[in-house]
Amino acid sequence: MKILPIKIENLSYTIKDSEILKNINIFSDEKKITIIAGNNGSGKTTLLKFMHGLIEDPSNSISWGSNSIREIKEQQSMVFQTPILLNRTTFENILYVAKKKKVNKKHSVNKIIEKLNLESISNTDARYLSGGEKQKVAIAMSIIGNPTIIFLDEPTSQLDPVYKNEIESIISELSKDGTKIFMTSHDISQIKRIGEEIIFLDKGEIIFNGKLLEFLDQDISNVIKNYISYG
Amino acid sequence: MLSNILETAFHLIFTLNKDLIEIISLSLKVTISALVISVIISIPFGAFLVLYRNKLQSMVILISNTLMGMPPVVLGLIIYTLVSKRGIFGFLDILYTPSAMIVAQTLLITPIVVSLTYEEIYKKYKDYYLFLNSLNLSNFSKLKTLIYECRYALITVTLTGFGRASAEVGAVMIVGGNINHFTRVMTTAIAFETSKGSIELAVALGLILILISFMITLIIKSLRKIK
Repeated sequence: MKILPIKIENLSYTIKDSEILKNINIFSDEKKITIIAGNNGSGKTTLLKFMHGLIEDPSNSISWGSNSIREIKEQQSMVFQTPILLNRTTFENILYVAKKKKVNKKHSVNKIIEKLNLESISNTDARYLSGGEKQKVAIAMSIIGNPTIIFLDEPTSQLDPVYKNEIESIISELSKDGTKIFMTSHDISQIKRIGEEIIFLDKGEIIFNGKLLEFLDQDISNVIKNYISYG
Repeated sequence: MLSNILETAFHLIFTLNKDLIEIISLSLKVTISALVISVIISIPFGAFLVLYRNKLQSMVILISNTLMGMPPVVLGLIIYTLVSKRGIFGFLDILYTPSAMIVAQTLLITPIVVSLTYEEIYKKYKDYYLFLNSLNLSNFSKLKTLIYECRYALITVTLTGFGRASAEVGAVMIVGGNINHFTRVMTTAIAFETSKGSIELAVALGLILILISFMITLIIKSLRKIK
């Protein structure tokens, strides 16, 4: 199923007279890491939720190739800022998603555990994992079944540099393997390290949409200039 | 005097007095039957209410919370009028039978189990909302996951229902009639034996009730630790 290009046309979203997203237009046709950047409250997570279908889009502003969100939902997965795990062991958490995605269950789970070096915590209850370990398990759960698109909502914002580095490597590797990544971040050094395409939001509006190098050279907006220099 | 009463009460318990055992068996039979029926209805229903949030659901929860505080004697009276010879369910002919007592206890604990189940599952659903929707699961699949994830909390809810049902007097007295060797359960027997001055059997039954209550508390406490 063809999932690219992703097209978002005139997407706006208002809650109680407050405009969260204003006339969003996005066109992306490359399987690269797209970073959705912006300051707190700029609408990054809301945009990601729209793209993943967690917020209903009554105007059908979003299309993936020639498909609607509903048609390709099975091929998407999402990792949340605060990892959401079931009260089960690491293995059982990944197995749960494998079952729901109807993939070759135990074999696939073991492969993912090996790929992400989760063997030592395979039988540990999710409640006893550290923040970094939880996020790695959440990523493992998101990649089982080989989704073609993964959304990551600030996956490293609460992690120390070691885990941050490890998770960034996983994300880069997934992208190299052909997975389209959409990731929110407000960490400029992280954006420089792994970002390829940048969408910059300010108060719900896109004020930049292009390549990383162009973004870093941008002199059109004080918001971006401040963002880069303070980051 | 108290030591004599306690001595006789313990004697009744340890010699497995026939009347005592009969009353305890009937009590457990009635309470467990009511509990099973109530849990089968209430847990899926409580979970269903979480997933299908609308105006009707708010009303059901409001009614359920109101019924939680309903005096058992009033409930007993309502069931009495319904199942008595002139009532609309009079044809069932269950007044003054264990079946009527099961109905009373089921109706008594169902609002409690529904409300507590709703609360537990609602809390969990708030935590898992994004995750479950991200996986694009059907509502049935979400329901199964939520019930499984709340399993320890729901056992606690079930035990709360058991505790409430086993301690009930008013409703089962009205619809059961406290008939010896037929509808006499622990609570009605305690009330009856005390009123006629035969306090030893009442104390023995009271001790058993305290023991059951203690065991339930112990299990709930252990489950909370696991949770």
